[in-house]
Amino acid sequence: MTAKKIARRDIADLLNEWSREFGVFVPSRDEGVAKWARWGGGDAGFLEWYRNTVVPPKALFFPPLEEMFSFQKDGDGYHVGQPPPTEDRWLVFGIRPCDARALAVLALTFKDGYQDPYYLARRKNGVLVGLGCTRPYESCFCTSLGISPTDAANVDLMLTDIGDDFLVEAVTDKGKELLSKTSLVQAATGADEARAEEARDAAGARVTRKVDSQGAHEKLRAGFEDKDFWERVSAKCISCGICTFLCPTCYCFDISDELVKKQGARFRSWDSCAFPLYTKMPVENPRREKWRRLRQKVCHKYEFYPDSFDVIACTGCGRCIRLCPVNWDITRVLSSLPAQEQLRLER
Amino acid sequence: MALSDISHRPKFLKEGNVYLPHPAVIEKIVSETIDTKTFHFNFKDEKLREEFTFQSGQFCLLSVLGIGEATFCISSSPTRRDHLECSIKEVGRLTRALHRLGVGAEIGFRGPYGNSFPLDFLKGKNLVFVGGGIGLAPLRSLIWNVIDNRQEYGRIDIIYGARTPADLCFTYDLEAWQQDKTVNMVTTVDRGDEAWKGRVGLVPVVLEEVVPSPDNSVAIVCGPPIMIRFTFPALEKLGFSPEQMLTTLEKRMKCGIGKCGRCNIGNIYVCRDGPVFSYAEISSFISSEY
Amino acid sequence: MAPTDCLPMKNGIMEQRLRREAKALLEQGKVSCVIGFEAGSLKFTTTPLITGDKDDTQRLVISPFMANNLSVFLTGVKGRVAIVAKGCDSRSIVSLIQDNKVVREDVVIIGVPCSGVIDLTKVEGLVGKDRDEIADITRDGDKVLITVNGDKRECPVQEVLFDNCLACEMPTPQEYDILLGEPTAAAGDKEKAKSREKINSLETMKPDERWAFWRNEFSRCIRCYACRNVCPACFCERCFVEETEPPWVLPIPRWQDSLMFQVVRNLHVAGRCTDCGECERACPVGIPLRSLAREMYDIVGELFSYRAGMDKEAPPLLACYEPTDVEDFIR
Repeated sequence: MTAKKIARRDIADLLNEWSREFGVFVPSRDEGVAKWARWGGGDAGFLEWYRNTVVPPKALFFPPLEEMFSFQKDGDGYHVGQPPPTEDRWLVFGIRPCDARALAVLALTFKDGYQDPYYLARRKNGVLVGLGCTRPYESCFCTSLGISPTDAANVDLMLTDIGDDFLVEAVTDKGKELLSKTSLVQAATGADEARAEEARDAAGARVTRKVDSQGAHEKLRAGFEDKDFWERVSAKCISCGICTFLCPTCYCFDISDELVKKQGARFRSWDSCAFPLYTKMPVENPRREKWRRLRQKVCHKYEFYPDSFDVIACTGCGRCIRLCPVNWDITRVLSSLPAQEQLRLER
Repeated sequence: MALSDISHRPKFLKEGNVYLPHPAVIEKIVSETIDTKTFHFNFKDEKLREEFTFQSGQFCLLSVLGIGEATFCISSSPTRRDHLECSIKEVGRLTRALHRLGVGAEIGFRGPYGNSFPLDFLKGKNLVFVGGGIGLAPLRSLIWNVIDNRQEYGRIDIIYGARTPADLCFTYDLEAWQQDKTVNMVTTVDRGDEAWKGRVGLVPVVLEEVVPSPDNSVAIVCGPPIMIRFTFPALEKLGFSPEQMLTTLEKRMKCGIGKCGRCNIGNIYVCRDGPVFSYAEISSFISSEY
Repeated sequence: MAPTDCLPMKNGIMEQRLRREAKALLEQGKVSCVIGFEAGSLKFTTTPLITGDKDDTQRLVISPFMANNLSVFLTGVKGRVAIVAKGCDSRSIVSLIQDNKVVREDVVIIGVPCSGVIDLTKVEGLVGKDRDEIADITRDGDKVLITVNGDKRECPVQEVLFDNCLACEMPTPQEYDILLGEPTAAAGDKEKAKSREKINSLETMKPDERWAFWRNEFSRCIRCYACRNVCPACFCERCFVEETEPPWVLPIPRWQDSLMFQVVRNLHVAGRCTDCGECERACPVGIPLRSLAREMYDIVGELFSYRAGMDKEAPPLLACYEPTDVEDFIR
């Protein structure tokens, strides 16, 4: 379909228009920390500074804390309430290709077998408007995972920054519908499309961090028992949850209950395979040692998830590298995996 | 592409919010050992009571609302359906809360989840059950299931042990199986006491004394990790192949449905692809993860 | 605060000496492991280097960006180790010795006379650019030169050092086995005052304002526990948040629970915290945790005339008591 464009100065009006129909979420800053927040009108100033948020947009679909249901104690029994309602119709504006792809990776788990009602309801009611990158971070490595900083995939609408304007493409029917309802877009010219191509190439060229993501699977499988390697690379890890929590494809969660007098609720909250007590059982803890946990984390992303779903559970967003307090770098670890001479073990 | 196929699961499992527990009421509590109790319970909802089905080896998640939820295998047999049974050892906050409940108290039930013992594979074969401690709980469901359909199976050997006589679970079942002439029941303890007149010896050692034949046989092993680690090699010595050895894996679980990631080992989730596995399926990671 | 000679050169000399000493210690079997810094994988970043291989010592660096408090790794390594320590880090080591978590004879402390660590967030704020878009940051005596797109900008170093560096009472380790260079001077009163700006503004707030402030800050907390895990004073094998009987604090990121966690954590490390600032630096969502930590540090100083990690023979402050202790603050 013919590409459209919208003037940069009209983005705020577009967001206001959409706010009449959707709960709109945009990048914003809280004490200098980039995060997702509800659009409250005003100007779209975030367009000037936004590169990517600290907490990924997965937090809008799979929040750090979610009430699953509430309950009331009544004698020997309970009354269980319905889960709290989620936003009816909502829209995320400015999601980056790495994060959009990550949502698709996450969805594979949440809809496999038993359907996870919470994630899927939010996803169903959500519209994604992607925004291609112009300034990838030095920690970004999306191009090594088969995507580019301007991919128009896994979103409903895709915007590409061409200076005074954004090129707008509808990717899904939802996106087409949205575009048809606004008068703020005009037809894009051939020159606009050419500029968009240039912008895409430029953004891609700025991603300098590279890793052999496809080759990792083999090496990880063959080197699973290489305790020396894993002990060496995990020595400086402090077993916090930053990498896993800020990873847009990580989904481990914990379930906790609370009961105060007779009112209570069951919550789910983010959990991390990096935490020492994650796999603890009464009898033993299979991953008591840090190197086992780090091995699990890397193998899960680059070996096990691909075994199950044919996709690497990493989109190269680089948050884990950027925000790790000890600068543990998964690209360095993957690059230093010993090459395996022997043939792949037949299973 | 490993998508879990739940199309064969019963309707009540596929509808509604999979995380919402169904209310069930405790009908009877049997004290097995000093820290283990078996809870007999039934659903509050009549329709669910009728519709509910499960298979031996599957597990459920029991909630004490406000305290939490944990995974337990269903230790009653699907052939004896007037109530459900779970055997629970007191090891932490949730199990302590469960142990403090009395008859009439309400708990939450989610399940049954997981795979089950492959009855089609077991039919017509000789079965060697090897259990330790509370590991008898998942075996028990299968044992009664098999005994209730006795003619479909070959020889039945049950080798069960516990640390001391006071740690033996399901003593009433052990007696019944002892009386059953179609079953070879061998009970042992690691350490006897003054009253104990039976066998004394570790389960893997007793196994080598009983010498079950591997011909047309399947061994089903459940117990503490240390017992399993010694039993598999003992069975191998007796001539059992890795495909002929089944077990249930225990791993910390939370959601029970393959979402929260906790029970992930390799590309499997114990809750989704297990807990029943053959040794052949898990030998690649059992040594490094267990 | 800073010596007037060129820091990169001074660092270079210290670095050469560090590499020599570390290699010798490993070669002679005096230690089985060296804990130091090497160049990070991002600009203006260092990363811990923990190695038993003598050839790896060539990668050791001394850098104006070496922020980590490496003593956090001491409770995880076996045998005798050599560890690179700035002043605040050495105080943490002393504090661990006081708590019997580390045996003095098992550590070879390689002391680094510190001139302060550069806070990249402050540099970013000053030039309005993210760190990976800044070409160069160089310290030159008491000035810092920041290069962006070919333009050089100069600023006094006090504007870009971490707040806790501005308040530093012991930049040069007093407990050490090897000291890599000449001692550096402690912070002056002007810097100390600047380091307390955030805390002072909190103290002047009315209680509801302050409550609203912390409520907003902790609503960003995701309970990653980076603050706890970078802290050398948090050495409990099982943290109180991991207890279920009773569940002191729920492991859920509700601002009330997260605030509670941080407050209790500060209470638990009172008397051990050396204001290294790592908790605040590690926090991915920018919660000003040091404001709580430093306030506790100052309260400990006021109430008990005690500063953590100054005397390895001293009993740990809140773990011991004397019959003559004052009790009138306990009601």
